[in-house]
Amino acid sequence: MSAYRYTEQSEPPAAKQVTDVAIERFEHVFEVDPKLMTAHVAQQVFPNWDTLRIVASRHDHLDWMHRHWADKVISGQQLLDELTE
Amino acid sequence: MTVAPELAEPVLEELRQVLGSEHVLTSKPARYNRARVPAPFPVHRWAERVPDLVVLPGSTAEVSEVVRIANANRIPIVPRDGGTGLTDGAVPVRRGIVVDVKRMNQIKEIDEVNRTCTVGAGISMLKLNEVLARYGLIYPDDPASYPCSLVGGRIGTSGWSLIGSRYGHSRDLVLSFDFVLPTGRVIHIGDGAGRKLSKSSSGYQLKHLFMGHQGTLGIATEATLKLFPKPEAELSPFFAFDNYDDAYRCVGELARAGVATFAGAVLFDEWKVNYLRRDDEAYIPQPTDVRALVCAVAYGYEDEVIAGGKRFMRIARDNGARYLGDEISEGDWAARHDRYATPLHGRTNAGQVVPMSWHCEDAAINYSNLPQVRLEWHEIIRKLREKFDMFDDWGMFTYTSANTGLDYLTEIDVGIWEQELDDASWAAWVDAKRDIAEVALRNGGSISACHGSCREGEVDLVPQELGGGYDVMLDVKRAIDPNNIMNPGKYGLDRAYESAEG
Amino acid sequence: MTDTSHHQTDSHTGANGDGSTEEFVQQWRNAAYNCFSSGHKFCREVCPVMQVTRNESWTPTAFHANVVAMEKGELEIADIAEDYVNCTGCGACELRCPNTLFTGDFYRFRTRTVDMVKAVRALAVDNDVHQPGWQRWNLLTDERTHEPVLGDTPVSQEHVRDWSAGLDIPIGGETIMFVDCEAAFYRTSVPRAVAQILQLAGYEFGLMNEQWCCGGPAAEMGYLDQSKRFARHNLDDWRANGVKWVLVLDPHDYITFTEDYPKYFGEEYQDIEIVLVVELFAELIREGKLTPSIPIERTITYHDPCRLNKRKGVWREPREILSAIPGLVFNDVDRVTQWSYCSGGGGGLPIEKPELTAKISESRVDKAAELGVDTLVSACPWSERPLTEAGEARSIDVVDIHEILAESLGIEVGGRRGE
Repeated sequence: MSAYRYTEQSEPPAAKQVTDVAIERFEHVFEVDPKLMTAHVAQQVFPNWDTLRIVASRHDHLDWMHRHWADKVISGQQLLDELTE
Repeated sequence: MTVAPELAEPVLEELRQVLGSEHVLTSKPARYNRARVPAPFPVHRWAERVPDLVVLPGSTAEVSEVVRIANANRIPIVPRDGGTGLTDGAVPVRRGIVVDVKRMNQIKEIDEVNRTCTVGAGISMLKLNEVLARYGLIYPDDPASYPCSLVGGRIGTSGWSLIGSRYGHSRDLVLSFDFVLPTGRVIHIGDGAGRKLSKSSSGYQLKHLFMGHQGTLGIATEATLKLFPKPEAELSPFFAFDNYDDAYRCVGELARAGVATFAGAVLFDEWKVNYLRRDDEAYIPQPTDVRALVCAVAYGYEDEVIAGGKRFMRIARDNGARYLGDEISEGDWAARHDRYATPLHGRTNAGQVVPMSWHCEDAAINYSNLPQVRLEWHEIIRKLREKFDMFDDWGMFTYTSANTGLDYLTEIDVGIWEQELDDASWAAWVDAKRDIAEVALRNGGSISACHGSCREGEVDLVPQELGGGYDVMLDVKRAIDPNNIMNPGKYGLDRAYESAEG
Repeated sequence: MTDTSHHQTDSHTGANGDGSTEEFVQQWRNAAYNCFSSGHKFCREVCPVMQVTRNESWTPTAFHANVVAMEKGELEIADIAEDYVNCTGCGACELRCPNTLFTGDFYRFRTRTVDMVKAVRALAVDNDVHQPGWQRWNLLTDERTHEPVLGDTPVSQEHVRDWSAGLDIPIGGETIMFVDCEAAFYRTSVPRAVAQILQLAGYEFGLMNEQWCCGGPAAEMGYLDQSKRFARHNLDDWRANGVKWVLVLDPHDYITFTEDYPKYFGEEYQDIEIVLVVELFAELIREGKLTPSIPIERTITYHDPCRLNKRKGVWREPREILSAIPGLVFNDVDRVTQWSYCSGGGGGLPIEKPELTAKISESRVDKAAELGVDTLVSACPWSERPLTEAGEARSIDVVDIHEILAESLGIEVGGRRGE
């Protein structure tokens, strides 16, 4: 059953270093290496649902923006493949 | 309440009679909140730029009355539309009355036969296009502030559009408009006796004069716009290069190819790629040999876009490009319609995250001069950052302005840590801006393709850019605004009045 | 990897501390500059208040800029408090802001306009700057332990379960159903529908021993101490009675229980699980435990409640439910377009500025009317009162998703849809 559980939300998954300035906690979601936010701007308390909400909203927003400008998006890969053939 | 003496009763009362008291704002926050735009702003001297009063008119007639009252009482007027401009046209430098036109956001007519619509100046293009989509139409004026900038501001600044190489820029897309002159007189600007012509040869062509004046000649209140069929298809391939020269050659060939659906091409240099690597999910995992990016965009019917798109792909491939894939291409382009910058891109020399304001210095430059301008601009910012650990080089973009590849909007994005701003750093910044403008002129360009050039620093060089045309500008200003009430202090136009007195 | 837990800041923290502007500014200055220095205003055209007033003083941009001006000593809390009434807490601005949408997850630093508005309101209260309507509302809430949603007709503790008359719902148990003030006293058809659907699915639940207002509205209006007192009462009541699961039908309660309570109670809150009923029902339909079968002959569109869609990202499940109901013609509008929709019913706005709430609701119902529907389905009791009033003028019926689901399940709901 989907439910809000405090502990589940307040412990982020373990971090994997991706570059010298970025880490990855959730799959395909990059985050700044927290050591860059120690002097001037401190990070906020960020429950896991909020990270995932933002990521999902971003994708929905970008899809919306495509639909806003045109009815469909042409795949560049497909054009490139046809060129190669 | 602290307003200028000339704004005391009974002038206030007169304005309330015209607008209704709820549309005459005198509170401190209302005035402070209409002091800045995203252009470089000396936040430490905010108080010097606060207007005395804000009015929210609801019609052309109300705007006219406000201006008439201001003119009679010699009170400065500052027109404010979206307040998203990257020069400071909407910043009150002599206090006075801010005329905020956001209430005038109605769609008055959609003419499906002639493909036009008539709207209030306070409407945003995004909101307009949500309605036009129901008719299968689109108004393709697409600045980076697309979701929030307003049609009236596009007129006042003569806006530049991301997809202008296909559809034209604001000056091509705005057919005509109602305009309140500094005396309060209302005229209609545009070709012909009606509202809907795109070309005439009768009389002086006034439309260009009354666009891009940064609110120094009057206030646009209602505009008739040219509409297009909403595109069936979009293509926006992004390509990676391991060096700038190949990317530069590629963008030139793409722009010169003469593809009919070509809507624009963009070139990002190495500084910009490094900036994207800081926090952009598409570029963080890119290999280190990615040092420049090119994007080409097409809109139109599916068959046309596919045909033109194949040509793009071939040109890119022949120039050594690596296609970045559909996901990055589509995601990045969709984010270009509405991404200015995010302050947390800012980094100190030690690499720490700080909130920086985004100051985008643009110029119009011919293709052949782009590489030289790029090197000189980066050097200016490098020196600035050396002196003050509160400026950050956020890299350079170059966008096609036209469909033939002759000239480009090129811009260098500079982060400024506003929390630390003081007089010394601000002065250094103003000098840098002047230097940036000087490079543009020396390379045969214009100080601005897109934003306007009335900000501190660069504005000093406008007479040099315009030459004898600047004297004509002074004459026009004096003739149209005899009392210098319309956005005074901008573009050095005060000297129009000095010479009259002298 | 640096461990950052020790220096994370919790920007949720409101005022109701010593009421010091310095402390407030120190806490919010980076957030304020993060907006001020970006200068983009993509929040503006999604803000429900801005859309109907076109007054830039009441935009999220202005709300942040004021804090910078306070830091510079140019503005004081007394100058700005009244402007901050003009927010429904819908969350559109903070989601649409590129500092959230494009980089909020990356930096673990996003725009928090809603929290900031609440913090300014709390700072105002701490400095004895009150909005008369809110002050009265919270005084009455404090007296009655429930919001005075019935106007002059008092609400009270002994009537909080009246909505459940005849439904034989036990008191207590590990799973309880929490009913917000508006639904418990005003639109009683909503909790009746929810309870009977749960019963039909064989789901065991009870009512809370002594339910008080969740405390969320008090926090929204700046009365943070009161909010915390109410929250404390409810949590103590749950713990004393062995409650493990709290079923929530109201999106506003859902926000309070999943954002305010965790912030108030921290670890103490870890035994409680909060279940959003609309998600539960979608699951039960998916699992075949609920099968709506009675055709509902209506042409509908769905109003995404702000607190579900924008603030929680919950938008799929209501559409799953509606798609499972036979007979409905569903003219849907996507969740992103609806970021700029709102009923105007949140954030205390209807208490201080009912005329603005009405305008926002009218604008929302106009959009529904353009789709040629006869029914607007919502999932938020607080939206349904203003939307219903606006719908009357346009002959659009406003129905709660739980009501319409119950009807399709053959349940005689009973209760009232308002007065």
